[in-house]
Amino acid sequence: MNLDWSVVAAHRGVLAAATGMTILLTVATMAIAVPCGIVVASVRLYAWAPLRAMATAYVELFRNLPLILLVYWAFYVLPIATDVGLSPFATGLAALALNVTAYNAETFRAGIGSIRRGQLEAAMALGMSRTQAVRRIVLPQAVRRILPVLASTWVSLFKDTSLVSVIAVPELAYVAMQIRAQTFRVLEMLTAMAAIYWLLGYPQAKLVDWIQRRYAVTE
Amino acid sequence: MQVDLSVITDHWRFLAYGIGVTIALAAASGAASLALGFLVALARLFGPRWAKPAVVLYIDSMRAVPVLVVLVWTFFALPILTGLTMQPFVAALIGLTVHLAAYAAEIYRAGIESVRRGQTRASLALGMSRPQILRRIVLPQALVRMLPAFGSLLSITIKDTAIASVIAVPEIMRQSETLAGQSFQPIEVYSFAMLVYFLILFPVTRGVDRIYRRVAHLGRS
Repeated sequence: MNLDWSVVAAHRGVLAAATGMTILLTVATMAIAVPCGIVVASVRLYAWAPLRAMATAYVELFRNLPLILLVYWAFYVLPIATDVGLSPFATGLAALALNVTAYNAETFRAGIGSIRRGQLEAAMALGMSRTQAVRRIVLPQAVRRILPVLASTWVSLFKDTSLVSVIAVPELAYVAMQIRAQTFRVLEMLTAMAAIYWLLGYPQAKLVDWIQRRYAVTE
Repeated sequence: MQVDLSVITDHWRFLAYGIGVTIALAAASGAASLALGFLVALARLFGPRWAKPAVVLYIDSMRAVPVLVVLVWTFFALPILTGLTMQPFVAALIGLTVHLAAYAAEIYRAGIESVRRGQTRASLALGMSRPQILRRIVLPQALVRMLPAFGSLLSITIKDTAIASVIAVPEIMRQSETLAGQSFQPIEVYSFAMLVYFLILFPVTRGVDRIYRRVAHLGRS
């Protein structure tokens, strides 16, 4: 077996750019999925019943679909169905955001739901309005339970960005596999790809553990 | 936009084969990762001192690296190292199992640790051996408590089998890609695949919830 690791060093610029793309996808998806998740969760909790049913259907559907299928679906079906041509990046971002929004919505709903109703009722009995009670009593407590879950969703999302490689978004997995195909340095490039993901993902996984310990709720 | 479902009905055998492979791969890698994960958890909790850092490194590494990377590496890079070529299905089974066993191990560990230490001490005081305590006192309670987590792991397993399409395992995702490419009808084919996954996954998650609600009282102590 002859191995030539110089291929990794030779492509370090491209790999760095691809790693940047992976990080950009993660940050952009979360930036979309957190506000959207809050909206969907609020609709599920407080809105008019038919809207609530629609929000529930959306969350259940997207939590029960493999992300890779969603990526393909967005790539082939969205342009035909909507007549809007999107770049692979925008398509990948849309698929990731649709998926993560559903998970976030569930996280927010469960976090808010975990605060006993009695607290809301007590706050309202003290003369607070419903909005005040939600903002000042329920949310500050719910955030402590939501944050650790959001953190582990973040790590899953970071890993899931690799799936948009199937529609040629130039992120780490796609670029590494392209270089592999051009140079035939299969073992070297795939190992380098795994190592870069590991170097970025390992501290994140450890950070999640720390956040979970830090915000652990004991009742 | 025209929808023509004949592409589904004309190729139902081809698609049904894919559904079969999806279910087989999910069942095999689910069962294998449950078994491997249990051994890993035992090594982490009760293993020799030197084993623990290695086990923790393995678990955290699998939490840090995407499944896609594990699968692609197993299929393309591992044969170069070992000199043995593998069928895509076998590579997917190995990759998924190695990845998911880390998650399973964490579930076992959390479940076992959730049983209060006082129970272990009481059993020791009654003269039981460590393996006896694990088998007769701790696990019966812990397994019930782990059930919801294993339910979501099963759902993750089924979803992750779709990623095996990248290494050409002929499961439903891959079959849909092939059919969509040949028929130029991606809307019908991919929407059908969505329906298939939803119909497999939704009852699984709901079913586990329902079973758990029925047996939850057995896990209380």
